[in-house]
Amino acid sequence: MICCIETALKPDLLDARALSLKKKARDYFSIEISDARSTNILLLETDLSPEELEYVKDSVFTNPVIQISATGFLDIDFDYAVWVGFRPGVRDNPASTAAEAVEDLLQRKLGPQEGIYTSCRYCLKGDSLTRKDAETIARELLANEIIQQWKVFSRDEWMKTEERVTPAKVILDHVPNFDVLSMDSDESLKKISDERNLALNTRDIPVIRAYFNDPKVRESRKTVGLDNPTDVELEYISQARSDHCNHNTFRGVFHYTDLSTGEKTVEKSLFKQYIQAPTLELKDQKDWVVSVLWDNAGVGRFDENNNYVITGETHNSPSNMEAYGGAITGIVGVYRDPMGTGKGSRLIMGSYGFCVGELDYQGPMKPPLHPRRLLDGIVEGVKDGGNKSGVPTTFGQTLFDHSYMGKSLVYVTALGIMPAAVNGAPSHEKKTSPGDLIVMSGGRVGKDGIHGVTASSEVYSENTPAGHVQIGDPYTQKKMHDFLLICRDRGIIRFITDNGGGGLSSSVGESAMISNGCEVWLDRVPLKYEGLDMWEIWVSESQERMTIAVRPEHIDEFMALSREHEVESTVIGEYTDTGKLHIKYNDRTCAYVDMDLLEKGFPDWEFSAEWIPPSLRGLTEPVLTAPADYGKLILDLLSRPNICSREWITRQYDHEVQGGSVIKPLVGKNRNIPSDASVIRPVLESEKGLVFSQAILPWYSKIDAYHMMACTIDEAARRMISVGGSLDHMGGVDNFCWPNIQYDSLKNPDGKFKAAQLVRACRGLKDVCLDYGIPLLSGKDSMYVDGHLAGEYGETRKVSALETVQFSVTGTVADVKKCVTMDPKMAGDIVYVVGTTADEMGASEYYELFGKTGVNVPVVDTARFRILYKALEKAVENELVESCHAIMRGGIAVHAALCAVGGGFGFELDLSSVPVDDPETMAEERILFSESAGRFLVTVAPENLETFDKLFKGLACSAAGKITDEHSSFRIAGLDRGNLCDIPVPDLENAFTKPFGDMI
Amino acid sequence: MTKVYALVLTGFGLNCDMETAYAFKLAGADPYRVHINSLIHGKERLEDYHIIVFGGGFSWGDDHGAGVIQALKMKNHLGDKLENFVEKGGLVLGICNGFQTLVNLGLLPALESSYSERTASITWNDCGNFRDQWVHLAGNVKSPCVFTTGVETAELPVRHGEGKFVAPADVLESLADNNQVVFRYADENGNPADLKFPLNPNGSAEDIAGICDPTGRVFGLMPHPEAYNHFTNHPDWTRQKSLFKRKGGEANTADLFKSTPVGTRLFENAVEYVKKNIL
Repeated sequence: MICCIETALKPDLLDARALSLKKKARDYFSIEISDARSTNILLLETDLSPEELEYVKDSVFTNPVIQISATGFLDIDFDYAVWVGFRPGVRDNPASTAAEAVEDLLQRKLGPQEGIYTSCRYCLKGDSLTRKDAETIARELLANEIIQQWKVFSRDEWMKTEERVTPAKVILDHVPNFDVLSMDSDESLKKISDERNLALNTRDIPVIRAYFNDPKVRESRKTVGLDNPTDVELEYISQARSDHCNHNTFRGVFHYTDLSTGEKTVEKSLFKQYIQAPTLELKDQKDWVVSVLWDNAGVGRFDENNNYVITGETHNSPSNMEAYGGAITGIVGVYRDPMGTGKGSRLIMGSYGFCVGELDYQGPMKPPLHPRRLLDGIVEGVKDGGNKSGVPTTFGQTLFDHSYMGKSLVYVTALGIMPAAVNGAPSHEKKTSPGDLIVMSGGRVGKDGIHGVTASSEVYSENTPAGHVQIGDPYTQKKMHDFLLICRDRGIIRFITDNGGGGLSSSVGESAMISNGCEVWLDRVPLKYEGLDMWEIWVSESQERMTIAVRPEHIDEFMALSREHEVESTVIGEYTDTGKLHIKYNDRTCAYVDMDLLEKGFPDWEFSAEWIPPSLRGLTEPVLTAPADYGKLILDLLSRPNICSREWITRQYDHEVQGGSVIKPLVGKNRNIPSDASVIRPVLESEKGLVFSQAILPWYSKIDAYHMMACTIDEAARRMISVGGSLDHMGGVDNFCWPNIQYDSLKNPDGKFKAAQLVRACRGLKDVCLDYGIPLLSGKDSMYVDGHLAGEYGETRKVSALETVQFSVTGTVADVKKCVTMDPKMAGDIVYVVGTTADEMGASEYYELFGKTGVNVPVVDTARFRILYKALEKAVENELVESCHAIMRGGIAVHAALCAVGGGFGFELDLSSVPVDDPETMAEERILFSESAGRFLVTVAPENLETFDKLFKGLACSAAGKITDEHSSFRIAGLDRGNLCDIPVPDLENAFTKPFGDMI
Repeated sequence: MTKVYALVLTGFGLNCDMETAYAFKLAGADPYRVHINSLIHGKERLEDYHIIVFGGGFSWGDDHGAGVIQALKMKNHLGDKLENFVEKGGLVLGICNGFQTLVNLGLLPALESSYSERTASITWNDCGNFRDQWVHLAGNVKSPCVFTTGVETAELPVRHGEGKFVAPADVLESLADNNQVVFRYADENGNPADLKFPLNPNGSAEDIAGICDPTGRVFGLMPHPEAYNHFTNHPDWTRQKSLFKRKGGEANTADLFKSTPVGTRLFENAVEYVKKNIL
């Protein structure tokens, strides 16, 4: 029987959720709602008696102080009601916890045919409100049809409809099986690949056929009753050979030509040459590097007893389709990486990087979600995922650029910590051995994430699971996180890894390489609903699962702990040393391949890369005269989306949970200026800190991705040094997001150029990392950040994102008490500009204000910068510095202004004292707006000036201003010492905070 | 017993247990992090402890109202034991999600010492969103609350989406009359926030940030005292350090480094109370 409980806040209480809808309807669509109320609906398909239902309603779901409720529906007045519920198979987190509560209350488990489903209803009133308005609100604000269904009711329809809402139940009605596929020719295998969305590379097909046609292989397969490959096997190969798992692009062969010099080079593997080689070289020099290049995340030493763990990921494509689901799945997913690194680490912090189109875009192109809605969803997804995981989100950035209209980017980064030794053995080492049991812990398996977005082309029925877009479940994962740490400390985890892309196929397939074989019993894998085929169980990407190797003698202890923590764990097989991946379902073999199959000579991917230098592309400096109104110009720059305050996002993220917050994401007198970096004390008993920062500077890719990469690393490094970090201990994480680089004369005519940009970015990565001594602790790539958007004439336009890298850095500080923030602290202190300003305005914020690009991109001179950075590190270490801030996007003008606001004092700057490389060419606007790398703004107390000057003797560092309480203005003196601008600091603050100021 | 034993709940999505245990350790107690099921299954006994903490987090995902299912679970399995614990003089602290749970359990405000009646609620912030910020709090020196003895003002972080305290007018009146309102949101001078955002970050009635029961031994608050366990937790510490440094003489930075953050003081007060009155 299906019954319903509806609850709402009492009418006299403010309904913030409904108010927010009202505001968005007005702001985004000019729809006026005079009154809105929201409700929560629980559909229960159970055998509860009416009395039990009342009991459940009153005991669990109604708070008598603030809520009203009814079995059935509440009588709330409306002109239109919008109902929104999930599609079948979409993860419904509140329904799961509701079921837990009902089971606990009634002291019985719900049966397989019983279920609980949540949805909600918005009751809208408005004199001018039309059905079309209500539908717009449903479609554009409340529901995403990929994961949700909605209905609009008029008052009349509501009264007349009997079955107003129905449960989103999955009914598959399918007997699980596997297929044997004949592949008598390359063409027939290609056809199978296309039909089944296997995405096999054409050049891999002959290799696969050769393997299955090998007489020895056929002989051995015969013993288990197989001949031709099964769909389970082909799926396994497809997953393992995918770019996602195998990084074919970074391991591919690049034929690189420089079109200006004609120079040709062959790059055999970008990964080996530019990532692995420098990192191994640095690992030898830096004893704090513990484990890199193989595990789910890199490991560095925190102190004698603890190691930290770091990795970063992107979750772009799913977030573009369903922003909330994609983003929460992204953050919760990346949090599993530290949990699956070594024998498992405890999460200690996270960060985000969002790159989206213009929020106020009103042009003709139709992305799947408008950037505004997309950002709302992404922000909320990372909020729920991060906050509910109990992990502080201490840092983050949001960028806007038209190029992200095609595909927005969602970067998520995770850090963990683990004791250096567990049970006397190094915690970062792990292995699987024959006889170890394969255990799957956490969530259950459904059709989630199978073949990613290709599934979106399938025809929907009312009960077809919407599997391709998922919703992360931080609650289930947090329980699992706590449980696994206890197992780790008891020494009963031999090996652990997460289930992400490729599901069991990847986690078991890869971990079985170590023991050299496995036998898996797919029929034992717990399912969300019946009817999944074997291959689906094998490759499903259902979230919140870890794969663990446990010795048989420990399994009882493991399972008992699992039960106590109410985490589902199941033995699904065992590791062997047979050299075979052997998968069974009810004792019948459905896959039997050699573990070393993937090393059987699959060909590398190949790319043509053609570098056209900026000059050959016709890039030149723009012709611009010096501005006259510097005051207005600086205020306008501070209000630009990529400069101004995004405090509304920062404050939605808990950045202080775990109690170790030292430098927060927002600093300064009014706590509203973004910090250069964050610092936490991950071990509360210790005053040692962990510094973290990151940078994203895609605009320089318009000129040369080599310099984009170099500037990005340099900025991240400077941010970290600003708060007290050091090049001596700085680990990096590179996250590449690149448009498609495979040349196609019609579909991707500039593919060769984009490939060359990738090669150049990798060269920049290696050069700067080696020179600064930054080993790459972890990194990932996401290669297809392009979108095809519908335009106004029915055409489709391809929009490729700028070549983008998020570079994260982390490291330790010995004493957090010496950390520094960017805000000047006292009147009377002297402002220093550290580093040389050059004519480097190419792709700057200043040029962008005028719609220009230019060509003089900032160049990172690592040899020169290093000396400066070491001097500055020493100054911070000796507590000579009161404030320190990296000069970044927008140049000195913008960043001195931010310092002025952060300090809350008067701020004077004298341009004639700023170190410049060539006084002849450095006009005032160039000094103010150039984005030269390698620079800082520092304030020093009068009593420390002498010592500070000594430290920087002979280096590019000059006293160029002061902090004052004689006035409260931001004053800049020009080269002739005349007054260029005089802006009240509150005006600066207003310009900076106002653009998104009404967002909370 | 010469030691003060504090039980910090864990499990089911709770998440501030490590730093809460640490704060108790700083305050001189022996803290134990105990899974809710260990208590329910009798592996751990409430009567072996002096203090129980319902800490911050998202118990059961907070999917059906913050702290609702946690309260239900505790009530179903440990209701009598909890009331006994209070009756026998034990201390109960609810922070954020724990405060929400105590209110749903009826352990707070426990007007007329009825510890199982739900008379108040903590609901969605007026701003409609989760919010992390530091707040100024005005302490009520007349309050019987044993955790806040001598605390006239405090600065602590709030981090919640559901922190708005609501109750019927008569309940609010009784709370004020009985001095059960322990903390109110205030401005930097200790004057009431008067519902002004962001001084009052969630729209709480009468700026209420924390309340206690009539005995003062059950205390719930939205701000996180455990997150102010070191002077570097304070958002202005680098500014404070510069000030201290410049004052020179005796008031140098060492004083700042040695100072006890007000967050830790709440835990110290609790430990002190147990030592004086229970041990």
